[in-house]
Parts: sequence; structure tokens; C-alpha cells
Amino acid sequence: MSKKYKLKRLLVRRYQILAAILFILAAGLVLLPKYKKNEGIAPDLLMKKMISSERYISTDLLADRLVNQDPSVLLIDTRTEKEFQNYALPNAINIPLKKLLDEDVNGYINQDIYDVIFYSNDNFYADQAWIIGSRLGYTNLYVLEGGLNKWFHTIINPELPDETMPEEAFELYSFRKAAGMYFGVGTSEQKTINKPIKKTITVKKKKKRVAEGGC
Amino acid sequence: MGPLIPNGIISSDWNYIIAILIGFAFGYILEASGFSSSRKLAGVFYGYDFAVLKVFFTSAVVAVIGLYYMDYLNWIDISQLYVHPTYVWAAIIGGMIMGVGFLAGGFCPGTSLCAVAIGKIDGMVFTLGLMIGIFIFSEFFNSLEPLFERSNLGHITLVDSLNISPYWIIFIFTIIALVAFYFSDWVRSKVKKVFY
Repeated sequence: MSKKYKLKRLLVRRYQILAAILFILAAGLVLLPKYKKNEGIAPDLLMKKMISSERYISTDLLADRLVNQDPSVLLIDTRTEKEFQNYALPNAINIPLKKLLDEDVNGYINQDIYDVIFYSNDNFYADQAWIIGSRLGYTNLYVLEGGLNKWFHTIINPELPDETMPEEAFELYSFRKAAGMYFGVGTSEQKTINKPIKKTITVKKKKKRVAEGGC
Repeated sequence: MGPLIPNGIISSDWNYIIAILIGFAFGYILEASGFSSSRKLAGVFYGYDFAVLKVFFTSAVVAVIGLYYMDYLNWIDISQLYVHPTYVWAAIIGGMIMGVGFLAGGFCPGTSLCAVAIGKIDGMVFTLGLMIGIFIFSEFFNSLEPLFERSNLGHITLVDSLNISPYWIIFIFTIIALVAFYFSDWVRSKVKKVFY
């Protein structure tokens, strides 16, 4: 009997109870300790992207895309301006790592039309630029694997494969040589032209002999 | 984590299907709350029934508190939610026209469709008028557009324009809601009861 009575009393007061819950929840939002939220993508997603090798683009693939004049490639040189003036990949834009977050260059990195490919002398600066950009949630960012050092060793000055290596190695070699020529560097082999050795044919003149014998 | 569709957790192909399911649920709740009756809707104005005020105010308060708790727990990113742009003068004029229509017809656009669904003739007439209104507005849109565009303030919220923490705004909003509920009950007790 008393249980029923209690329930009845509770039901009569149901709207007050619901209103109190609403008030407590709203007050809870105000009283909760505040913390600074991370901007950009979540840490676990960033880790997943970092571990994946998809962020690297090989020098061969980049050369192929440049030779075919792929319009979606946007090369960004993360080295210093002086180094950029010395040597840079064709059509690259120089954004030194320190200036990466400047507002006037943000438009190059924070977009989803081009494939942004960072490069430096090695992976080092380019990887840092990639992490900063990806952390902020920018998409289509890539790193040139091995940087300019590898570019030099593979495209500009490719290594001649051994005779025992498979056919693919030779095909790759000839592609790299051709790409190297496209980027304006001739390999030493192309430069030396073997001149055909002139064969001197010595024609021996027959000595006029005195007719021998006779009738 | 959320919102689920923009973050790719649910494919965007599901967008319309989810919208239809939510639409069904919304229509069902409207009808179950008795909002397909024009007498109940007009009751807010005459002071004999405040169900509309209570239902919509409660849903807004519950939704905003729930969303901000989810944001606090990182289940949803509140900054990714769509905020409808504010057109001040268009909203004031449109609100006045809708208020008159609401009172005269006894329906708002959503509830009129609810009434049509359960076969109410006044709901059908109201919906027909709604369609005519939409047609007239569309035909005269070119001449109305300057008024429409000029008062565009963009995607603003009270948090931006008052520069107060959203949590305080929610708290104040909740208190306003509770006071409004109490006040509406008081008004209702003073007004002659209407049975329908």
C-alpha cells in the first residue's frame, strides 16, 4: 500500500523531477572542468596516416608524372631559399619549413585540387612539413621519398644494373636515363660518341712484271 | 568521431535514407503529441493549451544539452555542424507572415502535412494555401531578393555575437525554458478550460 502511495506521489511530481534533471544537466555543462581541444585531425588518425607508406611518392613515379606533364602535381621545396636558388625541381615552389604556417602560403597547402609533394635534400624537412600539414587536417599531401639525394642518384645519375639483373632493372635504367635527359642532364654515355674507326685499305699495287718465258 | 556522415563513418549515400527515417519519426512524434489538431496549435495563442511551446522548447533544450555533452566527450565535433545563415529582416518579415498564417490556419507547415496524413480537410486546405504561397514567393523572388540578401549576417550564433561561453548560454536558455513552462501552466490555470 505504501509502495503504491510513494509511486503515486512520484508521478504527481514527475514534471518537477524532469525539470530538475534538465536544470542539473545544464548546470553540469557550466561546472564541468574545461580543457583545450585539439584542432585538426584526431591523434589516432594521424598515427594511422603516419605509419602508412602511402604518403611517400618514389622518384621514378614523380619523374614519370613530370615527364607526362601531370597538371595535378604541386611540388613544394621545403629547403631554405638559398638552397632553392642553387638547385630545384622544375616548377617547384619554395616554402621553407619555417614559413609553412604563414597565411600567404596557406592556400598552396590547404586545398584539395593538387597533389602537394614536399621535398627537401632528404626526407627530413619534407616529413616535418607533411606532419604539420596532416595534423591540421590538410589532404593530398605527399613526401618525395629520399628527397633530392635520391632524385640525384636515381634520375640524374642512375646506376647501371649488373649483367645478371632481370630485364626490369634494365628497363628501369633506360627509363631513368631518358627521364634524366628530359630534365636536362645527359649521362656520360650519351655524350661520348664513338667515332667509327676509319679503316685504311691499303691497295697493293701489283708490280709490273716482266713477261716471263716466251714462246 | 561525429558527425557520422561528414567524417565518413557512414557513407553519404545513406544521407537521404536516414533523412527519410528521421522524417518518419518526426511525423510520428508530431501526430502522437496531438499536433495534427489545429485547435491544440492555436491553444498557445489563446492560452488554453501550451503543448506546442513545451514540446518544441523541451526538444531544443534536450538536443542542445545532449550535443554539448557529446562534444565534451569528443563523440561529436560541434564546429562541424551546419549553422543556418541568419537573414535578419527576411526572418522578421517571414516570421510575422508565418505567425499570422499559423494563427489563422491553426497549422505550421510540418503539422499541416501531419494533418493531411490523417485525412483532415482543414489540413488539406492549409497545405494548398501553403503551396500557393510558395508559388507566389518563388515568382516574386527576383524582386524580393535584395531584401533577402542584404540582411545576410552569415553563419552566426549567439556564442559569436555575444562572446559568451556556449555553456552559459545553454544554462540561461534552460532556465528561460523552465520559467516559460511554469508561466504557461500558471496562465493555463487562469484561462477557461476548452475541451476538444
